[in-house]
Amino acid sequence: MNQERVFKVLLGPHMTEKAAFAAEHNQYVFKVASDATKPEIKKAVEALFGKKVDRVQVLNMKGKTKRSARGEGRRSGYRKAYVTLAAGETLEDFTGAE
Amino acid sequence: MQVSVETTSPIERRVTVQVPASQVDQAVDARLKETAHRVRLNGFRPGKVPMTVIRQRFGRDTRNEVVSELMRQHYVQAITQESLNPAGYPSIEPTVNEAGKDLEFTATLEIYPQIELKSIEGTEVERPQAEIVDSDVDEMIETLRKQNASWTDVERAAAEGDQVTIDFEGFIDDEAFEGGKAEGHQLVLGAGSFIPGFEDQLVGAKAGDEPEVKVTFPDNYQAEHLAGKEATFKTKVHNVQEQQLPEINAEFTQQFGVEDGDLDAFKAEVRKNMQRELDTAIENRVKQQIIDALKKANDVTVPQGLIQQETEGLKRQAAQQFGLGQDFDVSQLPDELFAEQANSRVQVGLLLAEVVSQHELDASDDEIRAYVEELAGQYQQPEQLVEHYLGNEQMKNQVKSAVLENKAVDKLLEQAQVKDVSMSYQEALQAAQQQSEEESESTSEEEKNDENA
Repeated sequence: MNQERVFKVLLGPHMTEKAAFAAEHNQYVFKVASDATKPEIKKAVEALFGKKVDRVQVLNMKGKTKRSARGEGRRSGYRKAYVTLAAGETLEDFTGAE
Repeated sequence: MQVSVETTSPIERRVTVQVPASQVDQAVDARLKETAHRVRLNGFRPGKVPMTVIRQRFGRDTRNEVVSELMRQHYVQAITQESLNPAGYPSIEPTVNEAGKDLEFTATLEIYPQIELKSIEGTEVERPQAEIVDSDVDEMIETLRKQNASWTDVERAAAEGDQVTIDFEGFIDDEAFEGGKAEGHQLVLGAGSFIPGFEDQLVGAKAGDEPEVKVTFPDNYQAEHLAGKEATFKTKVHNVQEQQLPEINAEFTQQFGVEDGDLDAFKAEVRKNMQRELDTAIENRVKQQIIDALKKANDVTVPQGLIQQETEGLKRQAAQQFGLGQDFDVSQLPDELFAEQANSRVQVGLLLAEVVSQHELDASDDEIRAYVEELAGQYQQPEQLVEHYLGNEQMKNQVKSAVLENKAVDKLLEQAQVKDVSMSYQEALQAAQQQSEEESESTSEEEKNDENA
């Protein structure tokens, strides 16, 4: 994977109650590019944060459907990744990521 | 809490305070917990944000906030503990400020100097004694008439004291120069507002005349490129007006609050005002001498902070007097202009305060009221002004300090030897005018308050 791709894979941290809970179990949640694969995400996290990644789980979030006077519409969705770090590694400054 | 005090100069102290780490951290945690209840973050239900997230987001800011608050609190505690009497504001600097370590900060402050009052016993004070005689009153009325003079057109050659309306254009070597041209300019001959010689040459001109005026700009003229040059002004006289003093009649006296136009009543009114002016003048003169003597007898080192505060105040006043408006940034005025005055005022303030405390002077409410009523007597609606002053705690304190100051001066006056010097009304007033800003301040404040009322 080339250097440019590394910066395009991770879109930002995903901070929610669930993500905060996950962080206590060494899992960190990111929004990622919709065409990112697990191995790409793993390499990107290892390259950007310098931490060893154990495994990655990904899923596609669907946008909510919204109705208005103009009819029905859908918000854009995104791809989310749960990154489990290898035992003993932590991401300190998680909120500050990209 | 550990406090150590260093003496860096006779009036400056450096206080070093240590606050235990546990106390700081506790305070920070308490503050963070409170934030957790209050804050709304995307992705979290209100009140459900975990402490770890809160700490990450708000930890640093909250710590800074808490530390600066703690420093202020402990500073106050420290100076009470060490019984220091600070003048002005301290400058507080944290030296150690890290999580898990004891907080340490130094506060540099100035304290009020210890004043040992030296008596001014034996000082001679001149008290002017002046009678207002009829001629003084007449002169005053004459002045009032001049102030209310009107101008009427006359069909004759202009004489000294007349006002002419002119157009003019100035030439140097047949070339017009900038700023040398005006139309419809009103010029009082003999008032000396123009270049010397200009006004003289217009004497004798009639309406419609177009005299040429030749003048030489003085060597010290403010526009440098003109200074010392000879210039010719082409002028056109539109009209010549004569000064007309208003008759002393009902219309005239009404302006000064005498309704029926009775000459005797008017004179009495004028005399009353003059008497009041004279009284204040005499009082101020005596006061000024006392204060000067006091300052001479006692040399006080004044805290820089107080001077700074005073300078700020003076600047604001000056800005107001020049009519620079509320938005004017006073920091544009140079400090040096006011430093000396500020210094002497702070000195006087400190000394008088010392006199007050030494003699345990106090001002009762009645005395304050009497003082305000006297002040208010000069204005249109005295009752309102009195209410305005007494209703406002801050204003009342101001008045109280003025009353105390007067009392202190009276006390000092007992020590001094008063010598009566008789002089005329004019002399007494002039003598009073020479004195310093002390007076101009109180008047400007009165004006300000008057507007508010």
